[in-house]
Amino acid sequence: MSAAEADLDVSHLSKTFPNTGEGPAGGVQGASFALASGTFFTLLGPSGCGKTTTLRCIAGLERPDSGIIRLGDRVFFDHASGTNVPLNLRNIGMVFQSYAIWPHMTVFENVAFPLRVAKDRRYGRDEIDRRVDEALDSVELLGLKSRSATRLSGGQQQRVALARAIVRKPRLLLLDEPLSNLDAALREEMRKELKKLQAQIGVTTVYVTHDQAEALEMSDRIAVMQQGRIVQLASPRDIYRNPSNAFVAGFVGSTNWLKGIVRGAGPDAVVKLDNSPSSLRCIQPNAELEGRSVLVSVRPEKITLRDVRSAVPDRTNRLIGRVSFAGFAGGSMRYQVSSNELKFEAYGSSESIWNEGDEVGVDFATDAASIFES
Amino acid sequence: MTGNSEITLSKVASGRVNGPARLSGPVLRYFRLVDYPLIALSTAIIVVIGLLVLPPIWTLIRTSFANTMPNLSTAGFTLDHYINLVTGRNLAVSAVNSIGFATCATALSLIIGGILAWLIERTDAPLKGLAYVTTIVSLGTPYILYVTAWLYLLGRAGPFNDLYRTWIDPTSTPFNVNSLTGMILIEGFLWSPLVFLLLSSTFRAANADMEEAARMSGASILDTIRLISIKLARPALLALALFVFIRNIEAFEVPALVGMPGRVDVLTTELYKSIKEVPPRIGYASAFSVVMLIIVGALLLLYGRISKQAERYASITGKGFRPRPFALGRGRWIAGFVILVNFAIVLALPISAILWTSLMPFVRPMRWVALGTTTIKHYEAVVSSPYYLGLALNTLVVSAATATVVMLLALVAGWLAARRKPGAAMIDQLITMPLVFPGLVLGIALLEIGLRLPIPIYGTLWLIGLAFVIRYMPYGMRYAYSGVMQIHSELEQAASVSGANIRESLRLIVGPLLIPALTSGWLFIFLIAAKEMSLPLLLAGPSSQTISVAMFDLWANGQGGEVAALGLMWVTFMTIVATIFYRVARRLSLTSFGH
Repeated sequence: MSAAEADLDVSHLSKTFPNTGEGPAGGVQGASFALASGTFFTLLGPSGCGKTTTLRCIAGLERPDSGIIRLGDRVFFDHASGTNVPLNLRNIGMVFQSYAIWPHMTVFENVAFPLRVAKDRRYGRDEIDRRVDEALDSVELLGLKSRSATRLSGGQQQRVALARAIVRKPRLLLLDEPLSNLDAALREEMRKELKKLQAQIGVTTVYVTHDQAEALEMSDRIAVMQQGRIVQLASPRDIYRNPSNAFVAGFVGSTNWLKGIVRGAGPDAVVKLDNSPSSLRCIQPNAELEGRSVLVSVRPEKITLRDVRSAVPDRTNRLIGRVSFAGFAGGSMRYQVSSNELKFEAYGSSESIWNEGDEVGVDFATDAASIFES
Repeated sequence: MTGNSEITLSKVASGRVNGPARLSGPVLRYFRLVDYPLIALSTAIIVVIGLLVLPPIWTLIRTSFANTMPNLSTAGFTLDHYINLVTGRNLAVSAVNSIGFATCATALSLIIGGILAWLIERTDAPLKGLAYVTTIVSLGTPYILYVTAWLYLLGRAGPFNDLYRTWIDPTSTPFNVNSLTGMILIEGFLWSPLVFLLLSSTFRAANADMEEAARMSGASILDTIRLISIKLARPALLALALFVFIRNIEAFEVPALVGMPGRVDVLTTELYKSIKEVPPRIGYASAFSVVMLIIVGALLLLYGRISKQAERYASITGKGFRPRPFALGRGRWIAGFVILVNFAIVLALPISAILWTSLMPFVRPMRWVALGTTTIKHYEAVVSSPYYLGLALNTLVVSAATATVVMLLALVAGWLAARRKPGAAMIDQLITMPLVFPGLVLGIALLEIGLRLPIPIYGTLWLIGLAFVIRYMPYGMRYAYSGVMQIHSELEQAASVSGANIRESLRLIVGPLLIPALTSGWLFIFLIAAKEMSLPLLLAGPSSQTISVAMFDLWANGQGGEVAALGLMWVTFMTIVATIFYRVARRLSLTSFGH
């Protein structure tokens, strides 16, 4: 997609904060991305990586140091030409982490607020009633219309915040870790509903979270951020399967890390492991890596534990180890296997038969082992 | 901004980026990127506050160097006023008196308030509720009423001298209340409730673990108090002592009512006399005021440093923290007795003295035989005179108007400062500047301004209101500032993202959410303005008298009974007003906040 046909286009966005000496300053450096209309886009990263700063720059709550932010044909911010549209004229819907439900208003008044203060046009009483009802209906809160905002549960507050964000039918919806204040069960449910609602109204959405499971499940595209930079921007599947660096591999999903040195090049290349006599065959490492020390990532779910006497399948690595922990997790078994100095996390079906102390073969396909420079 | 200027400006800016004159690009860009409405609001507030705060200081400095003619025109500049000040005896004597008075009164109130606060907060002493009631009621009583009560109690006809005469020596009066000792005693009693309140929060915040660790290490209770409790509380104690000292240096009521009749002069009364002379020595008074400003300013700077240090020492722990009180054992009854004595000194004795004088035809000792002469003529005099009704109206109007203006200003200023908007630091500094003004000094400054201004506000309620607004701005600011800090900033950001501009955010979100803080700030300022004496005493004209000025005049005329009757009725009335206001405000915020 070229930038010209993108709905939201952010390019070379930078914002640094004067370091106050208390932890990471949490700025953004040169972030660029372009989103097609209707995309559910997630900024994912640990705290202080700049994801919230990016979101706040788009909203207009922070003024970037440089870069361009454009929504459709409207330029929100352009450092070069000195354009900076005030945040209240950007017509963006936003859900805050704390929900920011005004306690001195009813549910209806909270949701009606964006219509009452709109600058681009005036809304009549009937239209406000109709729009608020519509918004509340879409978050299934129509019954609580006249309730005071202080008498809402966390989940209800969240729905009100969402209704308020979409009531004006904005072209862009910003969500700042909206699920982080909910308890686990409610969070799972809201993920589904949020995604469904977003697809239904088709609004371009930027979602900020540090929860990789949320990001993978909900997003069309994910940008993983680290220390103010976007380190990978791809679909959830690509991010998970082909992480661009060791940070992404470690942050998105859990993984086993193996240290080693690349020996040889081309199809015969192997990784000689540091704390083990064994060598691994991996997805073909490029020629430059020969002789360099590397990190190999193997996802736990890619590992199959087999009887040591069974035959090793084609294109498969096998390390011999001993089960040091076997935990029953209901639907599955969680194992830890020690092989020399190495430790592996692995899963098995709940019917799998390994016990602590058993000798097992740790098998994983050569294309399940990704190499990263260390 | 309209589209037209936007286009031109951005064209110029982008054109220059590639052109040779690149330097002006960033400048233009900067101006394009600023938030104009916010800058306009900040500027407006800075101008308003600056216009309120700076002219009084400027006027005082200017007049102190000016050769002022009787018609207030300036005939050249001179150092004479300062020379008179330094060479005259009065400054030295009154300064020594002031320091002695302030030091001893501070020590007295710290001892009374400190012991009480420690007993209440850190031990299992009985009668704790009584101590709180005592404090709250006495804080609401106008100073002048309090002072007159003590003047009676310690005076010639009062029970102390009377008992001495009855039992020991009928011809002598052992205690002369119109002395430095009398002033110190009364001022010390006056401040002890506030010291108690402030210190009890310090003691409450103290971490009991520290004391228990000392006990576990083998220290006795006394050692623990000496080596741990007091050491930990010392920065806070020091800061509080300095604060009370400053207020005692600025004090006017006690020196005027107690000291002046006995010819004991301190800085404030010396200043008052120089301006009340005919013709007023306005240059001398201004030079005197400038000296006072410098003294108080220096003390306030010191106070700022010490209290910053005290914050570092504060050992408040997280939630679930509950200080465990010392068990006093058999000492409990002594503690209870101390609390009872405090109740007597701070509340019971003064109130009964006021009641007694208000019911007696003339000032006479508290004896059974006197009960026969009980009369309600003072009450009748107060109630039947339309004069007092006018005074009450004046006082209510000017206090309510002051509180309203101050809280509206504070709402905007507090929001700008708390949210670190442009100009925040400057707003904060300007609005806290009036703290350096002792009431009397501000009064003199406004007197001069009132006389010089082309608008005829001299002698009207307007001038008093203006003085009140300047004086109470810092207090209103504290209420609004901490109120804003308690509002999650996302509540405002949500309003902006929803499309609200600054005015709408302030009116529809910040304002309503601040109502509880603004209400308590309003009530506080309303109450202290209603009992303020030094400012209206200098500024009131014949038609703009307030209740406390009237009480001062009555007292000066020897009408102690009427002062007492008026004072009691006024206190009762104000208590009712405050209670109703508080109830209504609470109900309003209940309905809007729904819990």
